[in-house]
Amino acid sequence: MAYLTQPDYVKYVCSCGQLKPITSLYFCRHCLKIRCGFCICHEVDSHHCANCLENMPSSEARLKKNRCSSCFDCPSCFHTLSTRATMAAQRQAQDPAGGDAKVENKQTKKMYYLSCFNCRWTSRDVGIPDQSVASGGWPERTNPFLSRYNQLLDYYKAIAQQEKQEKLERERKKFAIRGKYITLTDKTGLTGAMARNIAGLPTSESGSSAAIASFTPSQASAEVDELPDDVYTKDVNLKQITSMSQRLASPEWQPSSVSRLHPLAKLLSIKRSQRCRVCDHNLTKPEYNPGSIKFKIELLAYYHVPEVKIISYETVKPGEKSALLLKLTNPTGHEMQIQLMQPEDLPPVEEREEPKSIEKSLEKSLNLEKDTSSYRAIERVAELGSSSRVTAPEATLTLAQRDDAAEYDDDAQQDTSDFILWRKSNKLALRLEVTTDAAATPGAPARAALALQYSYRNTVPPAPAAPQQAHHTLYTTLLLDLGVVSG
Amino acid sequence: MSHNIKILPGATVCEDCTLEGDITIGGGTVIHPRVTIIAEGGPIIIAEYCIIEEYSTIIHKKSDNQEVPPKPLFIGAHNVFEVGCRLESPCGHIGESNVFECRSFVGVDVKVGSGCVIGASCNLTAPQTLADNTVIWGSEHHIREALEKQPSQLLQLDFLSKVMPNYHRLRKPNVHKRPPSARQSQESSPRP
Repeated sequence: MAYLTQPDYVKYVCSCGQLKPITSLYFCRHCLKIRCGFCICHEVDSHHCANCLENMPSSEARLKKNRCSSCFDCPSCFHTLSTRATMAAQRQAQDPAGGDAKVENKQTKKMYYLSCFNCRWTSRDVGIPDQSVASGGWPERTNPFLSRYNQLLDYYKAIAQQEKQEKLERERKKFAIRGKYITLTDKTGLTGAMARNIAGLPTSESGSSAAIASFTPSQASAEVDELPDDVYTKDVNLKQITSMSQRLASPEWQPSSVSRLHPLAKLLSIKRSQRCRVCDHNLTKPEYNPGSIKFKIELLAYYHVPEVKIISYETVKPGEKSALLLKLTNPTGHEMQIQLMQPEDLPPVEEREEPKSIEKSLEKSLNLEKDTSSYRAIERVAELGSSSRVTAPEATLTLAQRDDAAEYDDDAQQDTSDFILWRKSNKLALRLEVTTDAAATPGAPARAALALQYSYRNTVPPAPAAPQQAHHTLYTTLLLDLGVVSG
Repeated sequence: MSHNIKILPGATVCEDCTLEGDITIGGGTVIHPRVTIIAEGGPIIIAEYCIIEEYSTIIHKKSDNQEVPPKPLFIGAHNVFEVGCRLESPCGHIGESNVFECRSFVGVDVKVGSGCVIGASCNLTAPQTLADNTVIWGSEHHIREALEKQPSQLLQLDFLSKVMPNYHRLRKPNVHKRPPSARQSQESSPRP
């Protein structure tokens, strides 16, 4: 159960140990595990401008410094600027003698300026002349530190290149030492650089070393301009001074006065695709078109994991039993068997460590947090669920598949028992009992942990090599928020 | 309370609005339906070419130290009162070309200059004087100074005064042009 503005009352335990509402969880169909935004790979799919929806490849985006060339943000309030048109009398050099001049003078021309609808800032406020074309052509300010910036860029590029070269050299040497046979170059002491020299070729590192040699590091200086005499006596006009966020929005200029604010080129937005770190399959993949909000692949937990909602609950008192009404929903297109369990009764997470290739294990060692966190998950739930426990009935509950048409026939199946309240298509309401620990401190948040065992039908077509089974029994743990323990 | 409502020719005033007290509405002004204008503390004078949109409220509040005769609340020309805004001012004077955005609130003891913008949902309650071309915006009430006055809404006014009679019952102008203006037009006509 997840809300936009309310707290999340039911949280699921992700395979990495995080507690998240079902709406922010993913479900990997290949690992059959719940994943969350914390334990998956986020990849940038495409860059686009959120205002004009222009799509551009990442190389172009990098070249444009991840900014849109035609859209601007307000430098005052960071809202998107709109182009407004006005009819302006054409300012033309008219010759005073000609009679045509009078006619010409009356001609109006559409002129465009940028305006913010939020704070009413306009490009005229800072003296940017109106443009005769609707888009583009706005004057660009050059970075005052452009030459220094380029110098630094060249320097670091050179250093990077040099380091790469050195690494290559080292690797080659290592290889040479390990090698059984002495090569001709080793024997004669003829290195690659010497060979180059003899052949009359320019030395490989000449370009980079020149850039490094000519670089002058910046000097710290204690000389600072004196403050003006009236700095303590002059009244501060806050309307003329920019705020901190306004200054930091354009780091190149950092205008201190409102009259120096300049439209900010709009930052590009990205579309992300998510990938499971364990099996490298895509969990979500958006459509490439920036105007579309649909997904090509969308493996969300909301479509695969049974959803639990709290209907109502009695106040939780220490050492007493209270009633709890839950609603279970089967979101899948197949019938589901559900059994409620205690979280500690769950079978331990079996580590199916298949003998993997060296690359795979290397990759694994790179993202270390994955393995350790899966253990932490189970520990954490046990800690949190200690105050109350849900008495789980032994029976296995069957939930019908989701049927969109079933919404329209309203005869609720009266298949009730002592703990089933009602049943309707793929939904089921349960009456459960919560036993609270006598030692629970009044005023502390009352939480109850619950485990679900559910059958899951895998619809992924099995790989030809490994015949996969379609039916699985999966487990999930969730934490119910039952208000606070009353005194 | 005396009901003395003067509507000058050229004004478009919808019938479905609450007008109480001594109110003068200038020519070219458009008053939408469901507007409340209450002149309990003194007369309200609305100048030309104002737009007063739906559910906006303008009250000239009664105050304890009332002058006799009561000072009028004068609202200058080209003001725009957007949907749901509220103005409670016994302070006498609102300049021209101001914009009171949606659901803004201007309390008593606020003097508004000319060319000011009170942003959507901004509340001005403390006694203050807004200098000309002040713009207040956002939930944190940021203040900035615009370089020039807000552009006038003449096109919108033109459109509204044409369209409004097609869909609403209007109050008829009850003040007719004085003879001097007629004489002026006679004078001006033979000139070219």
